[in-house]
Amino acid sequence: MSIPQAYAIISLFLFFSGLLGIIIRRNLILILVSAELMLNGVNLALVSFDRMVGGIEGQILSLFVLTVAAAEVAVGLALVVALFRLKGYEGSSEITNLRD
Amino acid sequence: MEWLIVIFFGLWAFISTLGVLFLKSPVHAILSFLSVILAVSGMFLHLGAELLAGLQLVIYAVSIVVFYVLVITTIPWEKVKRFGKVNLTQLLLATPVLILSTLITSSAIFEVEFKDSPPPSLESVGKSLFSSYLLPLEVASILLLVAMVGAIAIGRKDA
Repeated sequence: MSIPQAYAIISLFLFFSGLLGIIIRRNLILILVSAELMLNGVNLALVSFDRMVGGIEGQILSLFVLTVAAAEVAVGLALVVALFRLKGYEGSSEITNLRD
Repeated sequence: MEWLIVIFFGLWAFISTLGVLFLKSPVHAILSFLSVILAVSGMFLHLGAELLAGLQLVIYAVSIVVFYVLVITTIPWEKVKRFGKVNLTQLLLATPVLILSTLITSSAIFEVEFKDSPPPSLESVGKSLFSSYLLPLEVASILLLVAMVGAIAIGRKDA
């Protein structure tokens, strides 16, 4: 086993624990944090696979993933704040209707 | 020696990931996420991706974590604390499935023998970013602008 392979295993662990966090958490903000954990795992996987095959595309792709993560956080947290202000919701189990 | 670094960062990421998953207070969970980010940034540095390690620190550790804490301060604390616990039935149902899928995917990584190539230089990454990936870079900047305008429009008080 080489070192990039070990990092690929760690990235798998990060991705699946982020998925577990999305499933088990009830707080909307912490669900978004778990999604960030998944994105971190994907970034680590891209960079370690990059070392395995000897390219640079993985690093560039994970740079774009970083950009999209920043945009996702801005819009997602704005949605959470708007949802709280209009309805007073903070937990994922309270949102059962799409409108009204 | 190199394996010591891998084990150190791996254990660090493992412990703080458990904190993100199971800590009750949202602020504590977010601080534990910050710890995950620092560990992943160290892994990037070890893998030879210096640009990504720096960007991870600047974008994630500085801007995104601060943004999360800022949003928590806008919501009343009693409302935030009400949903601190994890969902126990979903935890019991999802954990075996996710452990199984982790094992299956990692067996695919173990099966193939990869070579360990030297890390690409920062110069080649920058050159490729501004020549063959110039259009995606510009599209990313437009995406950030649209996200900023959208966040302001959604989060406004009289929306």
